[in-house]
Amino acid sequence: MKEVLWLVANSLRSIFTNKRRIFSYVLVPLLGIFIAFMAYGDTGPAKLHAGIVDLDKSTLSKNTTSFIAGLDNIKVSNVSQTTVKNKISSGTLDCAIILEPGFSKAIMNGEKPEIEIVSIKGAQVTAFIKAYLNNYIGNLHSLSTAANGDTAVFNTLYQNYKNAEFKVSAHSLKDTSKNNDMTIQTIGFLLMIMLNSAGGLSELILKEKENRTYFRLMSAPIDGKKYVLSNIIVNMVIMTIQVVVTLTAMTQVFGISAGIPFWEMTGVMMFFALVSVGLSLVITAFATSSTSASALQNLIMTPTCLLAGCFWPVEIMPKTAQKIADFLPQRWLLDTLTELQKGHTLGSLSLNLATLFAFALVFFMIAIYKFGRNNNVRSFI
Amino acid sequence: MNVLEIKNLTKKFGDFIAVDNMSLAVQEGEIFGFLGSNGAGKSTTINMIAGLLQTNGGEIKILDKNIASHSKLAKMNIGIVPQDLAIYEDMTAYENVRFFAGLYGLRGAELKERVEEALVFVGLLDKQKSLPKDFSGGMKRRLNIACAIAHRPKLIIMDEPTVGIDPQSRNYILTSVRKLNEMGCTVIYTSHYMEEVEEICSRIAIMDHGKVIAEGTKEQLKAIITDTRDIWVEVKNTENLEEAALKEIKGVNSISIEENVIKINSQSEVNNLNHIIQFFISRLIEIRSLQEQAPNLETVFLTLTGRNLRD
Ligand SMILES: Nc1ncnc2c1ncn2[C@@H]1O[C@H](COP(=O)(O)OP(=O)(O)O)[C@@H](O)[C@H]1O
Ligand SMILES: [Mg+2]
Repeated sequence: MKEVLWLVANSLRSIFTNKRRIFSYVLVPLLGIFIAFMAYGDTGPAKLHAGIVDLDKSTLSKNTTSFIAGLDNIKVSNVSQTTVKNKISSGTLDCAIILEPGFSKAIMNGEKPEIEIVSIKGAQVTAFIKAYLNNYIGNLHSLSTAANGDTAVFNTLYQNYKNAEFKVSAHSLKDTSKNNDMTIQTIGFLLMIMLNSAGGLSELILKEKENRTYFRLMSAPIDGKKYVLSNIIVNMVIMTIQVVVTLTAMTQVFGISAGIPFWEMTGVMMFFALVSVGLSLVITAFATSSTSASALQNLIMTPTCLLAGCFWPVEIMPKTAQKIADFLPQRWLLDTLTELQKGHTLGSLSLNLATLFAFALVFFMIAIYKFGRNNNVRSFI
Repeated sequence: MNVLEIKNLTKKFGDFIAVDNMSLAVQEGEIFGFLGSNGAGKSTTINMIAGLLQTNGGEIKILDKNIASHSKLAKMNIGIVPQDLAIYEDMTAYENVRFFAGLYGLRGAELKERVEEALVFVGLLDKQKSLPKDFSGGMKRRLNIACAIAHRPKLIIMDEPTVGIDPQSRNYILTSVRKLNEMGCTVIYTSHYMEEVEEICSRIAIMDHGKVIAEGTKEQLKAIITDTRDIWVEVKNTENLEEAALKEIKGVNSISIEENVIKINSQSEVNNLNHIIQFFISRLIEIRSLQEQAPNLETVFLTLTGRNLRD
């Protein structure tokens, strides 16, 4: 084990003292996030389009409308009651807020006013608006309690309230559907980078054979198994760094919320890291040179990533392509994450995880079998 | 004590027998030479000793222990200087030596000390921070040696360490081999340069076609050929030379020509010098000089195999 750790430490040192390698192993994965942003147009969080149906037509209801319009990331237009349903179902509006008649009166009386929020995008969209409205109406209630039913007093208080440097704290709106897509997009890219860097690191085995250092290593107290084990460990360390850096940057720096707890997502990605190492070892075991390993990698990795929907939603592909995608580990990984975003628990996705694990296992077994038959040291002259 | 003992060692590549039922022993304190032309099986033998190649029969013992069952002990006590450079181009000289020494379990202050010692030994301490890609061929070879000696092995095996380098580095390496030997290392030195082997080795095995065809000290090997002698004739030009006719002269075994020098190997007991001189004069070939050579390993090899070492 001491020798294995020495090999691991040495490889990691040579990776992290080399700017080009840091760039390709750590920074390139971040590119995925930019690509996700490009794919989804605007770089800021999405604007929500809300339609307001003002049936009360009072000062207070108008003020409420402008309050909503003043919120960050929200675009407001007044719509009539008759068109609102259409606009929502056609997607022109993300939601509609209906201020029922008697809105103003209810507030003055300290009662809960009737507000209806309609959306087909579900609670993720409406919850945010509800929270702000409740807060706003709560404030109005306090004013009406203080005015004790006196309209003139209420109006003065209300004017002061409005003029006070009142700033709605700028919590950016999280349109989770768009965020979810961007997460999948980023991770899709990350998958390809992981496969590539695992491929590159395993290829080092062949490179070492080509420049003879492998045989020098083998004449020291190291054997092929220890050497491959050290390669696997280095691979896993690098991929863990890639996953953690990318996911951290995605959620913390770029503010894309994944809709999945961070460590759950990282854990799932580790399954894929195993798959990547397994696959690249298979390629290394079958390739006759580092050049042919590179070629084989390109031949296998990029097309499968395309098919599996790493760069676009798998739904837009033809049915047959989707069927093939079901046999790709990338698809299973992305599928697992999508399910988690929908609120499934990891426990309920054990089949997905088992499948990913099975991919890794099969790859490792093929690689071990093939390595075992490769023991004839090539051209030693 | 035998540092290395090989018995009936055989290696086949398919149908081709690269090492053929070879046996030999290297004693502690020797500089043992492996002399043989390219393809004789020297590197193949070394790769089996180093545990890199499976054998197809026979046994190898290091320090009286079979390497098949004591591979770690064997590896710890051997330092291999491979024929092909095995250094990392993207690591400094210091890092290279440190890396290989670390594989043998050295750590911390001891590691640092041994790495510096090895770099001093090969004269690269002042280049320790440089990358091998900026090194000359000779410096790379020396670094290759430093990587093999930092863990202080009992047996150092050098596989053609002087191929393709400048004379200065070559002398440096030969001197280092002697120094290592004086420090108590047993050295196996492989080469197809007869002069080198003759210069530094205390005992020599001549290999050909996977077999040891002769073994012993220089003197013992030369004694094999006291029944022949070498006559070198330098002529003005070799245009009119009829080789076949020269070979016809009684007692002449073989002839080789290098530029204007005709090297004639002849039986000692036949006095044919007159005939040889007559041969040149009658053909109007001008003789510039004529000398009788003391036997050397080249002639030993030629006598034993009928070929030149460098063919
Ligand atoms: N891996 C191999 N496969 C097939 N033939 C080999 C292999 N390695 C060496 N040989 C052959 O074995 C013979 C001995 O090679 P080698 O030991 O390298 O010779 P030397 O080191 O004495 O020059 C050569 O003819 C070479 O072609
Ligand atoms: Mg050789």
